[in-house]
Amino acid sequence: MISRRDLMKWGAVVPALVGGSARAMAAVPEGLDALVVDSRHAPGVIANPGGVRVLRFDGDVTQLWFETLDPLWRKPGFVLGGITGRDALFVLETLSWDRGRRVVSRKDMPGRSGRMDGPISWVIAPVHPSVKKG
Amino acid sequence: MRTPPGVSAVTFADGIAEMKSAVGEEWVFTSDPDVDTYRDFYSVLWGEEDERIASAAVAPKTVEEVQAVVRAANARGIPLYPVSTGRNLGYGGSAPVYSGSVVLDLKRMDRIIEVNEGNASCLVEPGVSYFDMYRHLQETGSKLWIDVPDPGWGSMVGNALDSGGGYTAAPYRGHFEAQCGIEAVMADGELFRTGMGALPGSETWQQYKMGIGPCLDGLFRQSSLGVVTKMGFWLFPQPEAYMSCSVELQRFEDIEPLVDLFNELEYGNIFNGMPSIGSPVLASGNPLIFAEIPEPEEMNRRVRETGLAAWRGSMVFYGPEKVIRAQWEYVQERFAHFEGVKFKENQFVKLPLRPEDMEKIQKNRFGIPSMEIFSVGSRGFGDFNPSDGHIWFSAIIPRSGKGFVKANRVMRQACAEHDVPLFMFSPAVTCWTRSFVLFAAVPVYKDKEKNRRLRESVLKVIQICAEHGWGEYRCPPAFQDAVMDAYSFNNNMLRRVNEKIKDALDPNGILSAGRYGVWPKHLRDGRHA
Repeated sequence: MISRRDLMKWGAVVPALVGGSARAMAAVPEGLDALVVDSRHAPGVIANPGGVRVLRFDGDVTQLWFETLDPLWRKPGFVLGGITGRDALFVLETLSWDRGRRVVSRKDMPGRSGRMDGPISWVIAPVHPSVKKG
Repeated sequence: MRTPPGVSAVTFADGIAEMKSAVGEEWVFTSDPDVDTYRDFYSVLWGEEDERIASAAVAPKTVEEVQAVVRAANARGIPLYPVSTGRNLGYGGSAPVYSGSVVLDLKRMDRIIEVNEGNASCLVEPGVSYFDMYRHLQETGSKLWIDVPDPGWGSMVGNALDSGGGYTAAPYRGHFEAQCGIEAVMADGELFRTGMGALPGSETWQQYKMGIGPCLDGLFRQSSLGVVTKMGFWLFPQPEAYMSCSVELQRFEDIEPLVDLFNELEYGNIFNGMPSIGSPVLASGNPLIFAEIPEPEEMNRRVRETGLAAWRGSMVFYGPEKVIRAQWEYVQERFAHFEGVKFKENQFVKLPLRPEDMEKIQKNRFGIPSMEIFSVGSRGFGDFNPSDGHIWFSAIIPRSGKGFVKANRVMRQACAEHDVPLFMFSPAVTCWTRSFVLFAAVPVYKDKEKNRRLRESVLKVIQICAEHGWGEYRCPPAFQDAVMDAYSFNNNMLRRVNEKIKDALDPNGILSAGRYGVWPKHLRDGRHA
């Protein structure tokens, strides 16, 4: 279960990611272990914003999930933020459930046309006792 | 906490308590946010009163825990709905067919019990995904391949039990056909093994399917009769090379001899990989949708005017290079008499794969699982957004040129008449070697009125297919009663026999009620026909 404390914590993280990818990555909030960036929506590269590891992919999450995220998600902890398309979040969210994790906060970001059809900013955190730290 | 229909809150709470004592409190889920993860995100009933929703979920780790959960449910009449990993999107996901069932989530049972290199087989638990097995084979340096569906994120057992299909060589593409040996917990909690698994001390459970007497593996396909806890599979020994080739023919009339010759060559083992049939002249901007096939004169006119072929038959060879090159040469000899025939070697790959091959290959042809399909919209093939979802319409049609053309036309016209949108349409998929499967992906919505119209339209299309003798081999829960009704020989004897078996093996009707149109006795009058 997601506690009220968790909700408040991650609810504060997501707005910091919103407002354009460059700005978001320049001000990655504390508490994230890594930030996933979907190159389709955020082509600019900031290597190591705020000391947070950036994991990039280009639409297809297979390699990123298989090589990096799945091994990490099998262990306790690891809070992941992301700015991705809806399709990629759908896949990552569904896979995260298998490892006791939930999307604890999400926020639509404006698309290039200014409409709300752009990427989503989100946080996936461990919530099940088997993977929750402490 | 939600409660299953017909079960009192007190009885349900008592059953849940017993399940918690069996599997551990943290592996029983009753809160709405947790149970909601078992909704069918692609449901055509999304947000409606009739949406199939679980009451709770239980995730055992061992066979003994499964037995304890099943016994707790059976003693109280609590309906259970087993899922392996619940990735059956487009066909129901992890949501139960009967609302209020407790999802029996087997994803924690993820042991790869054995991979036998010599016998090219494996024995796995239901929580083992294609990715899990791929990782295991890679890490152990195995020379064996799996055959994967697309996307490849699901369970080997679950996909096989739902009759999923893949893309490599013929003996492995039909995933239920490639199974060898099943262990299942029956509704009374007893443990059952099929084939040679019934013989204590046997070393041939994954070598010989039948054992003695009637072969009962089929009882567990798309069924409501047991909880499968182990399954064996035959694996594909990595070949020395892969070659994809195609034959292009120039006249509408060539379709019948093309299919006949392809059948002869595949059934005669001249090629062993998955064939496909397309039409360059009919290909539109969207390669996912096969256009309606016009009358012969019109199609031949387009061929003359565009210079594009009427038909392209593609085939795949797996084997030693000198053998598959000889096989391809023989194929060309057999097609040489067609006027204007063109041959093309599309891709040749020596195996094992090198890192630089990975970007050039179609991964599922090499037994490599992928989720690339979810990003297909971003590659420019239409407006595919998985957060809205889709359902699959999957009809078995005759493997003949006539059958192919007729099914294409009937389905395209039926979908147009009944306003069924398509974002993928392929009339001749060959996961199984002796028939075509007509696959159509139909978008679903989070809009009740749109989904209501869609359901009505799909029911009409099911009926139209049945009138032509075409039945779906797999479908979402909302249509399972209608599809089972279409298999109506001798006053629906198929369903009636299934019901008799159901009553004998699961008299309290606790397992997967309603799955594929087979309801337990106490719910039979309320079938969602």
